[in-house]
Amino acid sequence: MLTMTNVKKIFRTDLVETHALKDFSLQVNEGEFVAVTGPSGSGKTTFLNIAGLLETFESGQYMLDGNDVSQLSDNARSKIRNQKIGFIFQGFNLLPDLNLFDNVDVPLRYRGWSASERKQRIEHALETVGLASRQKHLPSQLSGGQQQRVAIARALAGEPRFLLADEPTGNLDSKMAHSVMELLQDINQRGTTIVMVTHDPSLAAEAGRNIFVRDGQVSELHEVNTFADVVNG
Amino acid sequence: MNWEIGPIFRAVMRNKVGAVLIALQVAVTMTIIVNAIFIINERKELLARESGIDEANTFYLSSSGFGDNYNAQVTVEEDLANLRQIPGVINATQTNAIPISGGGWSMGLKTEPGVENEGVGVAVYFTDQHGLQTYDVELLAGRNFTDADITWRDPVKGDWPQMTILTQAMAKDLFPDLPYQDVVGKTVFINDDEPIQIIGIIDKLHAPWIGWDGLERVMLVPQHLLFDSYRYLIRTEPGQLDRLMPEIEALLADSNRNRIIRNMNSMTDTRERTYRGHSAMVSMLTIIIVVLTIVTALGIVGLVSFSVNRRRKQIGTRRALGATRFAVMRYFLVENFMITSVGVLLGAAMTVGLNIWLVNSFEMQRIDWYYIPIGMLCLWLIGLLAVYGPARKAASIPPALATRTV
Repeated sequence: MLTMTNVKKIFRTDLVETHALKDFSLQVNEGEFVAVTGPSGSGKTTFLNIAGLLETFESGQYMLDGNDVSQLSDNARSKIRNQKIGFIFQGFNLLPDLNLFDNVDVPLRYRGWSASERKQRIEHALETVGLASRQKHLPSQLSGGQQQRVAIARALAGEPRFLLADEPTGNLDSKMAHSVMELLQDINQRGTTIVMVTHDPSLAAEAGRNIFVRDGQVSELHEVNTFADVVNG
Repeated sequence: MNWEIGPIFRAVMRNKVGAVLIALQVAVTMTIIVNAIFIINERKELLARESGIDEANTFYLSSSGFGDNYNAQVTVEEDLANLRQIPGVINATQTNAIPISGGGWSMGLKTEPGVENEGVGVAVYFTDQHGLQTYDVELLAGRNFTDADITWRDPVKGDWPQMTILTQAMAKDLFPDLPYQDVVGKTVFINDDEPIQIIGIIDKLHAPWIGWDGLERVMLVPQHLLFDSYRYLIRTEPGQLDRLMPEIEALLADSNRNRIIRNMNSMTDTRERTYRGHSAMVSMLTIIIVVLTIVTALGIVGLVSFSVNRRRKQIGTRRALGATRFAVMRYFLVENFMITSVGVLLGAAMTVGLNIWLVNSFEMQRIDWYYIPIGMLCLWLIGLLAVYGPARKAASIPPALATRTV
């Protein structure tokens, strides 16, 4: 599904050059639920941005769904993001001026689907996350957990093959975090590949595979029960 | 292509203040600009009106006699004879008033005698058989004055001669049902009951008063003036005016020491002075239009720039969810188009309202209907141009901004 080979990403300012990813290589298979962890500044979010085609990189190769997406144009990257990738953000990133229906509709409109098809998908997605009755509400009228559920509905409505979650429970209390994790596991069991960035070991433990990132490089762990040990030392 | 009109509209309705302010600004701008352009075009039409005379090559001066030795008749006869033989002078005539100069005589002509009958106001120019060539007017029908027709007008008695030449416009106002050719030979009445025969029709000559609604109603009267003060209108060959004006002024002043020559002006200067108010109005309104357009455009730029800066994270999120740069630009263009549309629709109504008020208060003309759609198109265009820069800036926001927490 996702194969990165020797990906290098450097952030440059006038004074500083930061190597965010160094020869970063990783393979995620179709249907996997992978948790990416690591300390702050390790390169987790940079990996997520590159995996989600939100950022370009200096060198290396990135194959997504069998296609080399390393050198695509901005428009082509937008199209792939829209059609193949679903995003869940730590801060939910709902558009505050749009109600839930319109929020979920945002990526669908870029797909060029008809209004009736979009409506059907939006209602189904909101139903999946248990918020079908609140589609006319604004995000500000929902709790944090509910807003993240809307964000998940928005990510799911286009039926992406690949879901990227950036600290999806980072702004939620433990009860709501658990509820969101259950939802993600349910989505994964239905066949969607999920890559989740987190620095919460207990959440990572609920994923099928853990990837530990340090200094812009991958350290992979298959045994989730040893993950805490790796983080600690 | 999905224009996102519904979500954009709903989003705008949830943040109305900025949008309402811009829509109002667009409406006020359109109201003022469209009416100002209408007034400018009206004034430009006035400025473009031709007086009928050869303005570029014509000038005039006043002769004021004084003392017991001054003889008006001899002076006028000598002056005209001298003027007409100066090389470079096409012709010259003595007269009482100058077209578009602001000062002159008017009378009323009636088709039927009697106080009870309504007259048609007309500007009066006293001249002689050289008048037509001096004014550079064309005789459309009838005949010119002859030497035998010219009489001397006594300033006390003020008798009117028995013939006149009218402009085509005056003939039409007097006899609206007749072609101008048939007006020749008709008798009209001056001073209620003094008959005067129309012997000729000329094409066009303006009265002295440019604001008068009978500007083209003029009668030429075949009389020389036995007054102490009068004017000479002198037409020169092309390119000779600047040379001849000082020469003729000196010649006339030197030829008779019992009078003074003053108020020498070219018709070009007279036009400039007479229409100065209109020209100033055109300049002032043009400045207002430019300033208002800039202010409105900057208002839109400011609002959209503020909106872009406020929504950077949202734009990044849209990009992450699959919006292309073009889709982001389109979002802001559509949003602004909707706000501007409200403004131009309101502006169209306000434009008509202001025009009705101007018509009722200042007797202005009613605005032509096509000014409204043209004004709307211009304001839409201004709106789109103003939003283009900030929209491009929005489109350049990277999708990675969606994952940044600060």
